[in-house]
Amino acid sequence: MRSAANLTIPGICGMGMCFQIDGFRLVYLGIAVLMWVVSGVFSLEYMAHYEKRNRYYCFFLATFFATVGVFLSADFYTTFIFFEIMSFTSYVWVAFDERRESLRAAETYLAVAVIGGMVMLMGLFLLYDLAGTLRFDELKGAVSGISGASRMRLYGACGLLLFGFGAKAGCFPLHIWLPKAHPVAPAPASALLSGILTKAGVFGIIVVSCGLLRGDLAWGTVIACLGLLTMVLGAVLALFSVNLKRTLACSSVSQIGFILTGIGMSGLLEAAGEKSGLAVRGAFLHMVNHSLFKLVLFLCAAAVFMNLHQLNLNDIRGFGRKKPLLMFCFLMGALGIGGVPLWSGYVSKTLLHESIVEYTTRVASFQALGGSALPESLSRAPKALLWMARITGTAGFWRGAEWVFLVSGGMTVAYMLKLFVALFVDRHPLRQEEFDRMSSSYMRPASKGVLLGAAVLLPLLGMTAHQTMDQLADLGQGFFGQTEKAHAIAYFSPENLKGGLISIGIGALLYVLVVCRWMMGETENEERKSDGRSDHNRCYLERWPSWLDLEELVYRPVIQVALPAVGGAVCSFVDRYVITAPLTAFLAVSAVVCRVMDQMADILIRTARRTTHSQLPAAFLAGSPHDGEGLRDSSAGGKGAGHKGRGSAVMKRQEEIILALVRMKERIQRNGRLVEESFSFGLMLFAIGLCLTLGYLLMVFISQ
Amino acid sequence: MSELFLAVPVLLPIFGGGAILALHLRSEDKGNERLMEILVEGLVLANSLAILWLLKNRMGANLVLFRLFGNLTVRFKLDLMGGVFAGLIAFLWPLATLYSFEYMGHEKRKRTFFAYYVMTYGVTSGIALSGNLVTMYLCYEMLTLVTFPLVLFPMTKEAKRASRRYLYYSIGGAAFAFIGLVFVLSFSATGNTEFVPGGVLNLQAAAEQRSLLLLVYVLAFFGFGVKAALFPVHVWLPRATVAPTPVTALLHAVAVVKSGAFAILRFTYFSYGTAFLRGSQAQWAVMAAVLVTIVYGSTMAVREIHWKRRLAYSTISNLSYILFGATLMSPLGLAAALCHLVIHAFMKICSFFCAGAVMHQTGKNQVYELNGLGRRMPVTFGCLTVASLSLMGIPLFGGFISKWNLAWAAFDCAEGYGFGPGSWLPVAGVAVILYSALMTGVYMLTVLVRAYFPAAAGGESAAADEGRTETWDPGWRMLVPLLIFGAMILLLGLRPVWLMSLLTKIGGEAG
Repeated sequence: MRSAANLTIPGICGMGMCFQIDGFRLVYLGIAVLMWVVSGVFSLEYMAHYEKRNRYYCFFLATFFATVGVFLSADFYTTFIFFEIMSFTSYVWVAFDERRESLRAAETYLAVAVIGGMVMLMGLFLLYDLAGTLRFDELKGAVSGISGASRMRLYGACGLLLFGFGAKAGCFPLHIWLPKAHPVAPAPASALLSGILTKAGVFGIIVVSCGLLRGDLAWGTVIACLGLLTMVLGAVLALFSVNLKRTLACSSVSQIGFILTGIGMSGLLEAAGEKSGLAVRGAFLHMVNHSLFKLVLFLCAAAVFMNLHQLNLNDIRGFGRKKPLLMFCFLMGALGIGGVPLWSGYVSKTLLHESIVEYTTRVASFQALGGSALPESLSRAPKALLWMARITGTAGFWRGAEWVFLVSGGMTVAYMLKLFVALFVDRHPLRQEEFDRMSSSYMRPASKGVLLGAAVLLPLLGMTAHQTMDQLADLGQGFFGQTEKAHAIAYFSPENLKGGLISIGIGALLYVLVVCRWMMGETENEERKSDGRSDHNRCYLERWPSWLDLEELVYRPVIQVALPAVGGAVCSFVDRYVITAPLTAFLAVSAVVCRVMDQMADILIRTARRTTHSQLPAAFLAGSPHDGEGLRDSSAGGKGAGHKGRGSAVMKRQEEIILALVRMKERIQRNGRLVEESFSFGLMLFAIGLCLTLGYLLMVFISQ
Repeated sequence: MSELFLAVPVLLPIFGGGAILALHLRSEDKGNERLMEILVEGLVLANSLAILWLLKNRMGANLVLFRLFGNLTVRFKLDLMGGVFAGLIAFLWPLATLYSFEYMGHEKRKRTFFAYYVMTYGVTSGIALSGNLVTMYLCYEMLTLVTFPLVLFPMTKEAKRASRRYLYYSIGGAAFAFIGLVFVLSFSATGNTEFVPGGVLNLQAAAEQRSLLLLVYVLAFFGFGVKAALFPVHVWLPRATVAPTPVTALLHAVAVVKSGAFAILRFTYFSYGTAFLRGSQAQWAVMAAVLVTIVYGSTMAVREIHWKRRLAYSTISNLSYILFGATLMSPLGLAAALCHLVIHAFMKICSFFCAGAVMHQTGKNQVYELNGLGRRMPVTFGCLTVASLSLMGIPLFGGFISKWNLAWAAFDCAEGYGFGPGSWLPVAGVAVILYSALMTGVYMLTVLVRAYFPAAAGGESAAADEGRTETWDPGWRMLVPLLIFGAMILLLGLRPVWLMSLLTKIGGEAG
């Protein structure tokens, strides 16, 4: 084994960054470089007609560095930092062509990434709190002593991490972004998204499963079950899809399920005290294989898309005819992913299959001895959990799992066959000649070269499994906590071949029975009938019920409608009734009080004028220099006729004065209101505070 | 005598602002206007330099400016925590002033605006440098009065309403804070209200009146919390966004609201002392209020479609992050609170300035009007992207650091209590912060996505204005502050160690 090299950069982002390189990371570094180089070269042609190339290349490089950062990281802190950067830079890929559906898909992608990131962060907080470190090599030791209530918290933390990494890996039920994002992203970017970005998620799951919770029965069961579920669901979705890139995306979901199953099986085998070498090597090799398959397959899809700008199988069928190079490359990818012997996928699938078989026999022998597979820690678990544990502890369950595995493999064969037939065997009813004319100019030589190079790798690896793939597995398995060298496995022994052949048989059967019979039908378009040949009128039907979409059915309604409606309603209710209403009432009451206090002097004066001073002579009010005595006289004798003229003049003056007074009063009141609205109110509040304090102090003094 | 220098940062802007008010410059005159701008910027810069000089040479200085009566003194003191706040505003104020010259370019009554803007600087440094609770209380009241004309500035009906509301709330809150002041004074071990790390309460005397003192703490917390926009006394903040953007950005995202948070930190860690409060009902009560505020603020921000108000709601929730740190009542909590106080200042002022730049250049206020602007104002929206990602707490940016520290402090705090009552609150707080981060993602990213990818919002497709290439970025006086703030966010995100070690030192002393 190569010795691991470490690099720590303290201080960056607070806690410092920590990198490490070992066999696994070296392999994935190599794969990352290979994938970026190949899809970069391909992008030169693919992107030639797009205007915003610079933006694409900028984020292309940024994502490369972020991805490498994730794979080289040696603690969760560093992983998280690069993981988030990777999510955001790859978002731009998905949103690249800015059509409405791509932006919608990008929205989904971003939402999954952000939610996944936050949940992961919560898991990291919990984990850091429990273990006191986030370094991969220290974590295992730090959490090994944890038991009891803290053990549940550890499971909680790991569950949150699983959510975060699983969201990126495309694990059920968070796989929703893959089938949406891949068809709309530029195809070289899809290759990377599917081939290596999902692996960054798997990377995290490996650290949790094979580092932190290595050999934990419950955790292994959960991962294995999730893997099986993802595997089947992805394969079913892929089988139903009639869009080239969507099929490939769903296939990615399914293949990630295979990898997760392998990781889960390694945990289970460890827990049962067996060697987990088979499962570990299978999972790792399948990761590597899947990266390469998806590189080749998506680049083939890219070749189709950049010529036709269509992806629906009915529109593109027959495109591959008379294009031997494209056919060869696609075939290599399809045979590889289908697990056909002599291609690399067969090797990793065989290993995974073997690991399930091994665990099944182990459980069966354990049952035969009368022992229970339940560990001590589960004895106090809730009933439902216990029941689950009992089911997963039986050999029957794992025999079922084996069949699920084989059937998923069969479905893989079926949907790849469907794609292959559509592209290379069918003839397009109308545009076949046009397609054939493209045969010489559909790809530039550079693109052809790199595609061919990537495609040739697959059978090369598969045929020299012992020389190449075993070496790779030896390099990689250290990361999974597996140190001893595994015994050489006869990949082409009859039992192993049997598993592969069963899968292929199931696949062929599925293709003939389901795809040809049920998923293809007569076209409704009548004008095509003029073509004459009946098989041209058969087209691929969308058989998947359109309402059955986890995202549209559950996630979007919950997140976009239910949560904002409930949360918003609560908030606005609180805002309107709990805060604003009492406040308004308080303000209204205190305003009345203030106004009354403000006008107290006014009221006194007014009452005085109405009662005691009601008959004040006008001249006095006008400030005339006459002395009081004379005035009183004149008013006393005011009824005399001789005074009439003077009296009316007085009346007139009085009116003016009253008007002036009214105006003055209004002005005073207006000013008063302004003042009251600003200062007196504030002062009053201040006074209330003071009064409370003083009242309290008084009370204190009295009580003493 | 050299101690008198300590009063310079407080008095210089206050008198300077008064002088500007008193000067009779005819505002139509261009030359005069330029003169005033130079005067204002010079004043602010000189003040910032004075603060920096003090930070470098006069750390620990102590000055009694004058005596009110008895042991009530107006005292200024420069300690580490005040120094952090003073340094922060000394950094921000000159840049914000520069920004406002361009922003306010076409406004009338600029003289009034800048006079009060400068005076606020002095009062805020007063809060940062105050050495006892009495001084801080005085500055706190003065802050209300000098910022009131700034909110009123547009003189529209809405502005009048908002400013009136601002006044009521602030003065009412101060009344409650005053209760706290009286109690600290009467239970103080030293007989005055000076700030001492660890608090000044006479623990023996206080123990007899424990529940009453705790009640008073809660009252005072909410009293100071008015300025820090604590739920349910936050109502003034979203309304106050009618003020010109430099006011909203500097005062209602940093100076005023941070003064509230700073006052709470002082009150909690330097007057009451955490030893008295830790583990009490009062701690859980205020922590619960803070968590409710975080949820409320970030949820309302998602609902809000007026851009500046949305940012104001975001401020509400982010201020409560600081208060959350404060209510943890541990050394780490104080450090985390101060960390968020500093970093949030940069993030929020940056996002407000971006909003202001958009308003100034295009007159657009609502989020739904922003379609496609990201391409037209690349620098502005570049800075906004940095600020948004930082607000969300994405690594590499400053916001992540403060969130990480807050969560760490929360777990540390929860650990300390074992499984006692209320110990689940800090852990719930971490969940709340992550929820809030998610909501932040929603309300900030929707703006960015609209701005960069107009088709997502169903607006005209990007192709429609492909041909137009001229940009609408504002002039250098607005761009330079934006770029500096953006760079600071990145710098704080990448190299936060010096800041954190300083803050941890403060926390270690006071917690």
